[in-house]
Amino acid sequence: MNLPSPDFADCASEPIRVPGAIQPHGWLLLVDAGSGLPLACSDNAPPPSEWQDLLPRHAASLRELRVGEGPCFIGTAAIAGGDWDFSAHAIAAGIIIEFEPATAQPSLSAPIYMLARNVLPRLQEARSIDELAALAAAEIKALTGFGRCLVYRFNDEDHGEVLAEARDADHESYAGHWFPASDIPAQARQLYLVNHIRLIPDAHYTPVPLRALSGGLDARTLDLGFAALRSVSPVHLEFMRNMGTLASMSVSIVVHGRLWGMISCHDNHARQVRLQTRIACEHLGRLLSLQVAAQEESADAHARLELRQLTLRIVAALQDSDSSLQRLVSEEALLRLARARGAAVVLDDQCWTLGEVPEPGQIRALADWMAAQEVDMVHTDRLWEQVPELASCATAAGLLAISLSQVHRHLVIWFRPEFVRTIRWAGEPRKPDAADGRLHPRRSFASWQEQVRGRSLPWGQAEVATVHELRQALVEIVLRRAEEMAQLSEELARTNKELEAFSYTVSHDLRAPSRHIAGYVDLVLEDDAPQLSERSRRYLGHVKEAAAVAGRLVDALLEFSRLGRLALSKESVDTQLMIEELVTEMRLLPEGSRVQWECPTPMVPIWADAFLLQAVVRNLFSNAIKYSHKRESPRISIEPVSNAQGTGLQISDNGVGFEQQYVDKLFNVFQRLHQAEDFDGTGIGLANVRRIVERHGGTVWARGAKDEGAVFGFTMPRRGEES
Amino acid sequence: MLKPILLVEDDKRDLELTLLALERSQLANEVVTVGDGAKALEYLRREAEYAGRPEGNPAVVLLDLKLPKVNGLEVLQAVRSDPALRAVPVVMLTSSEAETDVLKSYSLGVNAYVVKPVEFKQFVSAIADLGVFWAVVNEPPPGSVKGGRRYVS
Repeated sequence: MNLPSPDFADCASEPIRVPGAIQPHGWLLLVDAGSGLPLACSDNAPPPSEWQDLLPRHAASLRELRVGEGPCFIGTAAIAGGDWDFSAHAIAAGIIIEFEPATAQPSLSAPIYMLARNVLPRLQEARSIDELAALAAAEIKALTGFGRCLVYRFNDEDHGEVLAEARDADHESYAGHWFPASDIPAQARQLYLVNHIRLIPDAHYTPVPLRALSGGLDARTLDLGFAALRSVSPVHLEFMRNMGTLASMSVSIVVHGRLWGMISCHDNHARQVRLQTRIACEHLGRLLSLQVAAQEESADAHARLELRQLTLRIVAALQDSDSSLQRLVSEEALLRLARARGAAVVLDDQCWTLGEVPEPGQIRALADWMAAQEVDMVHTDRLWEQVPELASCATAAGLLAISLSQVHRHLVIWFRPEFVRTIRWAGEPRKPDAADGRLHPRRSFASWQEQVRGRSLPWGQAEVATVHELRQALVEIVLRRAEEMAQLSEELARTNKELEAFSYTVSHDLRAPSRHIAGYVDLVLEDDAPQLSERSRRYLGHVKEAAAVAGRLVDALLEFSRLGRLALSKESVDTQLMIEELVTEMRLLPEGSRVQWECPTPMVPIWADAFLLQAVVRNLFSNAIKYSHKRESPRISIEPVSNAQGTGLQISDNGVGFEQQYVDKLFNVFQRLHQAEDFDGTGIGLANVRRIVERHGGTVWARGAKDEGAVFGFTMPRRGEES
Repeated sequence: MLKPILLVEDDKRDLELTLLALERSQLANEVVTVGDGAKALEYLRREAEYAGRPEGNPAVVLLDLKLPKVNGLEVLQAVRSDPALRAVPVVMLTSSEAETDVLKSYSLGVNAYVVKPVEFKQFVSAIADLGVFWAVVNEPPPGSVKGGRRYVS
């Protein structure tokens, strides 16, 4: 008989469902599902004469079995001088019937009834997962008598954290310890998902091989995945012996199809657990699974409800305020939403933060990293490993981030600080090396402490889901705003156009009447002057003057409207030359002759429409002359400006200045800060300046103080930097 | 005999002032006035009430831009696309110097473009200059159009 050798190159590839052998505390038959004829049996089975009459009596029960379902208790029978409980389950090759020494007939004191009567109500009363686990550990211990019963839960990496322990004094405690994921190989986990209970009454057992009773069947290939008697991996037996455990039982806790945790029982001595008790244990496992699921769901639902309320609050605040995303950082709820300690809103190159956050440079690096991922959402509890710029940044060991746009860098980022954890492993978690070419399970189960650094608390599903929801809501807001903006700017463009057409027509139509008034007054003054009184002539003079003023105003308005419609043709303008020409022009004006001009060299080139730029500078020059030429020694100086916004000029005079509080009004059409009698002008020059500069995408400014001169300046974006 | 000047003007005050200005420039040319663009074209094409007028194109057409029925630009366009009329000098008179109007006028082949000044004296001298230049000085060869822009302000 060839039993599988323990020399496995890889534990995870061991075919644990087909060991070709069983444990010796019972015996096994395989019969044909149709005919009921025996196909295979374990070597320790009594001779067929002892049991061949039994099967036809239970044919009806056996026919009910379906492949994929676990063993079903069929009955108790006296065979070869003993009483045997037997249960059966179907596999592809036939029906497996397992015999174990019989327990007492089921009665009201049977474990399953005890369970229903005593344990179920208490499980339902438990208020936390920990309480549930403690109850289950104690109950299983009471049911089975194992020296130590643990309930542990697997984390995302499949390490098992001991939640509860019930033990006798002579069994070492594993409370608060972790069992490394490597203790349970993948295919064992897989099997735990379908077959919820596994028992090894004696780690020193000698496996009993299976043999075929009919030709054409290889007994070593039978699937014993559901068989209670299945012989386990020799590596596992070695593991048990290393652990000082001679008997073990495990019951799976499966929540939503995932192996959530295990009830794991150990004993320093061999220990048998009879079928009825095992059935009760398996039921307890299922009850626990249900309660855990219910607890987690209710906790989750509670958390989600709370988080959803926070989301709604944030979104509502943002919608009401009609303000930009940056306002998010003024909501403390933003942190609670993700249970984070810091948050940042990144809008392209700008960043606003709340709470404990990394340095601005680090946030920029993060934004780069996030952009490179090209995903909507990212979360990690070990940021340092992923973004080297953030290594050892205490405020950000964990990150949860959402991207709101595929075009712009619009991010919301949450930070969690480093959370240093000390994990007590039930033995060094790394597999011992296989120096001798043979795989050994770990030998040490001494408590082994590990300090885990560089991680934050992991992000929970509820937080991730909430942030995802928030993202949807924000994207909707952003999209709706964009739509509104598009609509607004469309309306604005139309209104502007209408306004221009209107102002053009109006000025055009206004010009004719002022011309007529002036014309007829001139005619009267010329032709009939002798008949007119001095007073009439004076009145007519006023009429004429008023008509002329109206005409000039209309001309200015036309010019203003025209500037808005002119197409820009930008070039790099040599301001040096332009200023020289304009200064020469200004000197020819009567008011400009006394002005002392200061223009240092070199000047900056400006990317602008040369004609319009000249209009801007001419306006600013005339303005400066107008308000300074009555001074003792009028002085106007011109300086180049070069900053982040672009290049431009600044013109200062030592004239009458203005009160800084009215600075906002300076650039408005027809706004005058001085009485018309004091200074000529239509009040439209500075409006033109602003209009031209803004059409170039630039900015204008003015500074002044009453009687202390004024400074006017502008910049226009450099070539290629216009937005 | 001197060719007449065709003045197309719908505003009666502008008409009076323009006529006064022409009068003061002491031109000997007859001034024919019409009140809208349609009439102007009828005159030029010797149609309808002008069917019986003597042959011959005017020395110059002084054309207001804004006119009822057929506006100044349309009249200009019609004149320039008519082989019999295309050589007639056309001076556009307008209340404002809006860029689009100027550009359109020149692209349609206007000979001069005059913004009517607010000051009456300037208006008189502008009209007088125009009259003298186009009615007396300038004698365009048939089929050719003398270009040139005059600023009057």
